[in-house]
Amino acid sequence: MIQVQHLTRRFGELAALDDVSFQVERGEVVGILGVNGAGKTTAMRILTGYLAATSGSARVAGFDVLRQSLEVRRRIGYLPENVPLYREHRVSEMLAFQARLHRIPSKEARRRIPAVLEKVGLSARSRELVGNLSRGLRQRVGLAVALLPEPEVLVLDEPTSGLDPLQRIEVRGLVRELASKHTVLLSSHILPEIEAVCPRVIILHQGRVAADGPREELVRTLGRGAHVRFEAFVGADAQAAAHKLRALPGVSEVTLGARSGIHQAFEVRGAGDLREDVGALAAQRGWAVRELSWHQPTLEQLFARIALGGAEAERAAAAEPAVAAPSQPAASPLVELQLAPQSPTPPPPAAGASGPAPARGMYNLNPFERAARPAPRPEGECREEGRQP
Amino acid sequence: MTGLVAIYRRELAGLFVGPLAWILLSIALLLNGFLFTSYVNSLNGNVDEALRFLLGRAGPFWFLVVLFPPLITMRMISEESRSGLLEFLLTAPVTDAAVVTGKFLAALTFMGLLWASVFVYAFVAGQVGPPTNWGLVCAAWIGALLCSGLFCATGLFTSALTGVPLAAALSACVLNLALLLLPMLGTLSDAPWVRELLTRLDVYEHLRGSFLFGLFDTSYVLFFAAWTALFLFLAVRSVETRRWR
Repeated sequence: MIQVQHLTRRFGELAALDDVSFQVERGEVVGILGVNGAGKTTAMRILTGYLAATSGSARVAGFDVLRQSLEVRRRIGYLPENVPLYREHRVSEMLAFQARLHRIPSKEARRRIPAVLEKVGLSARSRELVGNLSRGLRQRVGLAVALLPEPEVLVLDEPTSGLDPLQRIEVRGLVRELASKHTVLLSSHILPEIEAVCPRVIILHQGRVAADGPREELVRTLGRGAHVRFEAFVGADAQAAAHKLRALPGVSEVTLGARSGIHQAFEVRGAGDLREDVGALAAQRGWAVRELSWHQPTLEQLFARIALGGAEAERAAAAEPAVAAPSQPAASPLVELQLAPQSPTPPPPAAGASGPAPARGMYNLNPFERAARPAPRPEGECREEGRQP
Repeated sequence: MTGLVAIYRRELAGLFVGPLAWILLSIALLLNGFLFTSYVNSLNGNVDEALRFLLGRAGPFWFLVVLFPPLITMRMISEESRSGLLEFLLTAPVTDAAVVTGKFLAALTFMGLLWASVFVYAFVAGQVGPPTNWGLVCAAWIGALLCSGLFCATGLFTSALTGVPLAAALSACVLNLALLLLPMLGTLSDAPWVRELLTRLDVYEHLRGSFLFGLFDTSYVLFFAAWTALFLFLAVRSVETRRWR
């Protein structure tokens, strides 16, 4: 649907895009990720025909974005970052204007406008002035405007920037809904966004494609540092407990984390998700478990690694989980962010791929664990619930 | 074409939603009404001559025609480029030329409306005095419209050049004044080709020489149309270069 080949765009000396190539197939939902100034907006502007490329070519639905610009524009619904709308017009007037620009017959437009307003949840506000709407509502009007011509490709430039967390979740849900009918290209520097919505991610960094692929694959191939976080009262000698943990089959490394009161934190690394083994050991030893959770590197850490580059990034990525964990309850969008990529991976009941076979047996050996302490893994469970909106 | 009409309608609606259009209209109405009566008085009831003064022979006309079109067009492109609306329009399936032309036609319609008050004056004068010379009124109105159109085009051109509406309006006023006053330099020169060249640019003479006599001469229409087209073309080009800047 979208073919971008060796696209370069210079603004004077600065190369906003530097030899960027990627392809998007029909029906794909692709997230373009990058820090500010990475070239996301420039790429989208070139695709929508607002900017011309310095060199290279881009095709949308088989049409060249420069030579057959009008054909391309007819097929793209574009929501620019700042959501340009005529503030002095009513919502319905803005949509009627868009319908005329796209040559939608007025009969058809009369049918589509209420439908699209319904879709973005603005039916009750079609008579209001755009200028009087809040930022989030205007964002929805922008989406409605982009959706009205029923475009084949939707290009959304930071569709949730400047929205409050609740609105963000709504817009995200909306985009997920659209994904079934349109090819969607979405940019963001906010990872929760991309992680929640896009199965495929293109990471732009300094105008170049730093990574491109399915989200999980990127995390798997580029991400290191998945580990089990274990926090418990293990008695006075933390080192001894660490030795015991290290002795578990499959464990390659155990690092001592912070000590808070009587509880000692550990990070257990090894072959896959070792939570059950660690839990069984804790039960056997009678350690009072406070936390037992599976931490996978998120896209965020991966992204930090790419954006910072090199050794510095390793350090940042290593420091990341410790920082991210306590802040989780505070920032609600962040919770969503870390859920999404994990959703396919942590299957506590059927640990088919990752969990080693004996682990399940050991887990079953400790029924009192569940009975006596129903919440040894509160995090995992509430995540499961929180994931279903 | 559909896109052009859509832009035209939006732009016209946008004009009349804001206060500026109404303020300018009332100023013009007040000024023209006052001027017309005073011209009729001072010309001993010669309505035709008074209309000529109103639509081109006297200074106030040129004040309106130099100042008002830039005020109307100043926001049309420059503000949209700042608010990002231009990004919306330039990624919509309409050509750049349609965007600029639609805006131009909206501004022209406004100016046509502004000058349309002369029909009322002519009608009223015809009721109380000698019958109205409608041919003259129409030709003079068309002349005023063409002249306003030219200055709307320069206004759009400067609006496309800058992102600051006020700067657009000021530079358009300067450009309009330059267009008007340049031919006066011709009188200073002895070289015949300079005089010849500058008379080709003479907006005032082209208005006075035909339309104000009730003549509808296509060559004079062409003069205005050509200059208007030139500035519109420059405006379109200037919008287009945004893609490359």
